[in-house]
Parts: sequence; C-alpha cells; structure tokens
Amino acid sequence: MSQSKELYEAILTGNAKQAHAATQAAIDAGIAPMDLISGSMVPAMDEVGRLFEEEEYFVPELLLAGRAMKSAMELLRPLMVASGEKMSARVVIGTVKGDLHDIGKNIVASMLEGSGFEVIDLGADVSPEKFVFAVEQRKPEFVCLSALLTVTMPAMKTTIDALESAGLRTKVKVLIGGAPVTMEYAKEIGADGYSENANGAVGLVRKLLAGA
Amino acid sequence: MRLKVICCQVLTLEMNYVVSRSPHSIEAENLPMGLHDLGASMRPQLQERIDAADQGGYDAILLGYALCGRGTEGLRAGKTQLVFPRAHDCIGLLMGNRHDYQAYFDTHPGVYFRSPGWIEFQTPGKVLEPALATERNKIGERRSREELIAQYGEDNGNYLFEQFGAYRRRYSGLTYISTGVEPDDACRRLARAEAEKQGWGFEEIQGSLTLLERLVNGTWDAADFLVVPPGATVRGTLGESIVEAE
Repeated sequence: MSQSKELYEAILTGNAKQAHAATQAAIDAGIAPMDLISGSMVPAMDEVGRLFEEEEYFVPELLLAGRAMKSAMELLRPLMVASGEKMSARVVIGTVKGDLHDIGKNIVASMLEGSGFEVIDLGADVSPEKFVFAVEQRKPEFVCLSALLTVTMPAMKTTIDALESAGLRTKVKVLIGGAPVTMEYAKEIGADGYSENANGAVGLVRKLLAGA
Repeated sequence: MRLKVICCQVLTLEMNYVVSRSPHSIEAENLPMGLHDLGASMRPQLQERIDAADQGGYDAILLGYALCGRGTEGLRAGKTQLVFPRAHDCIGLLMGNRHDYQAYFDTHPGVYFRSPGWIEFQTPGKVLEPALATERNKIGERRSREELIAQYGEDNGNYLFEQFGAYRRRYSGLTYISTGVEPDDACRRLARAEAEKQGWGFEEIQGSLTLLERLVNGTWDAADFLVVPPGATVRGTLGESIVEAE
C-alpha cells in the first residue's frame, strides 16, 4: 500500500513531528517517495486547500500544513536525489523587488514542494536580475512572482521584461499572485497565469504542466 | 462649498490641520486605522460612510484615503461626487507626490515608515474588530505569541509567531515622515527610539501636505486627483494615474 494514513492526518492537522515520524515509517516499510507523495501528501494538501476554500482553515492552518509537508520532504528529497528520480517540474519562486512580505509565497512554496515539485525559493525583495540568474542557472519550468503592495507590483512587469531581454521568457511559464494582484493585471503584463490562493497556484502549475 | 471628509485615522493630525485652514465649510469623520488589513471587508465599511454622507447634501465627499491595497477599489459615488487623491497608500499621500514616493521606495528597500499618525494612534495590543468572524482569522498575524500558543500548542504557536513576525526582521531602516504638524517633535523622538530598539537605521524625510491641502481647498487638478462622478465607481489601474473612475 503506497499510502500512509498517519502522514495524511499529520499534514491535515499541521503536526510536523508526526509527519516526520510517519514518513520515516513509510520509508522503512519500503514505500517509494513518489508513491508517498501522490498517495498521501497530495490528497492531504488537496483537502487542506478545500477546507481553506470553505473557510474552515485559514492562513495559520496553511502554514502549519506546509510545515508538516516540509518535514516529510526533508526525508524524501535526499532519497529522490540519490535514486535519480526526477521531480515533475522545477519552480523558481520569490517575492519581487522592494517587497518583504513572504507568508503567502512561503505557503505556495511548501504546497508545491508537497506536490512533488522541486522548488527554488529565492526569498523576498528579489531583483529582476536575480530571477534571471536563477532561471539561467537552474532552468525551471515555472517562475512564480509574489507581491503584497500595489507599489511593488510594477516589479512583476520589470521582471518579465528582464526575462524577455535575457532571451528566457519563452522558456518558462510566469505565474503571479498576492493580495492586490488580479487576473486583469496578469493579462496586462503578459504573465502566463494568476491564482487567488496557494491551492489554486498548485492546481494551475499542474494544469499547465499537463499541457492545458 | 459644503464638503464632507471621510478620513483614515492615521491622517487625523494632518487632516485637522489642513481642514482648519480651508476656506470651505467642512465636516470631517475618521475611521479606525488599519482597515487595509481587512482585505475585502474594507470597502463595505467605507461605502457605508459614503452612503450615509450622500444624504447630507454636500458638494463633494472627500476621501482621506489612497488605493490602500485596493481596499478603496469599487467604491461607488451615489448622488454626490467623490474626490480621491492619487496615491498608493498613506505614505505616498504624506510624501505629497506619488512619483517621489515610488522613487524613494525603489531606492530604499526594507524601510519601515512612520508618520505622526502612525505613532500617535498606534495602540499596542489593539486588535481591529473585523466585520465578519472569518475575517478575524485572516488577520491572525496580529495575534500575540501567547494567544497563538494557547490555540496551537507551544511548538506550532511559536512557529506561527516567528512566521508572522519574520518580515519585520528583514527591515533595515525606519523612515520618519515629518509634515511639521504637531506633535512632530514628540513623534520623531518615539520613531527614533523605535528604530534604535529594533536595531534599524533612522532617516527623516520631509513630507508634504500639498495633496491633503488641495483636497480640502477644492483645487482638484486631474493630474493629482480623481473626481468620481455620481454613479461611477473607483478602479485601480496600477499605472501612472493609480485610480480611475468608470
């Protein structure tokens, strides 16, 4: 059985210690990392997302679920690297230049990781140059930009322009998000997608990966 | 003219100053600061006050607000025109010029802004009561470490407190915006003390009352003000004009 009920529960209840223990037990029982991710972590994350949409879970619960997923990935990631198992996609994520807010971005990053994506988190106040460098070096499929202030949102456009100037724009899908960001703005600046929340972001990445 | 001012508490000191010098007959009301933290709940709270003022037979309703994270987007003028200064937020308003604000912001990342209002009216531990119970949880980041531990246990409670406070630790400087309005000196001292306590650099810049002055004096040039005609709503553009009416 490639599932761990304990891991599923641990993520749902935001229990990082239990997630760690359940993951170790699953590894010891011979369950393959990707099976554990798709069998237990992704369903747990989908349920967390659903509860958030239903307004039963809020930002704290998302952060704690993310923390639990991170502790599971701490054990799974080295195994996947060692076995040469390729993650389904690589994502570079960061909050744009001038903006120090990162809670939403952190939630998206941990949910993407929990879905089995390789996530390179550049942190906050990330310059367009730094995004370009990360894309050049790490060749991700996705670049996710976050901003919480209307004053810093223009940096999303300058980042896309910088990718364009570096000849990298067509090599990645650029997704944007953050409280004041909208679908209209995404269209205006030529982003490939926008999502209102972390759950939606994961869904969007999966959809775009499937070629939709 | 007979004018109504609906103003964010954070601008109280500056607004009182310019209102007292305006040639017009002005009635002003303040709403609690921090409404921008309520996200979607901000607009209905403002709209309610606008609708109430709409019955007052004023020549215009002046908003002591900015785009405020889109919290003012969607506000609708009834039969009275609304007037908005063009700014992203209160900091931009107090700088008096949105281009200067953008330029300063771009060259000073990691800066925490303070103005007399931000110091005078900031009550430690004060929690804004949101309109809806669900909104209360969205602003969980304002809760104390003790409250978070009580709800989530020690391990998770501490983790959440660290997460919510993390961005504050990334600030490297505090910039105090002085507009010369009293109690400027006292607020400056408190701002400086806060910077020292946090280990931040301290810088003072001269703000300007020009936007607030022109707002209450009735000189609403299109370059710096949006006049929302009756029946129209406010839309954020993120472009040079920041807000438009449609």
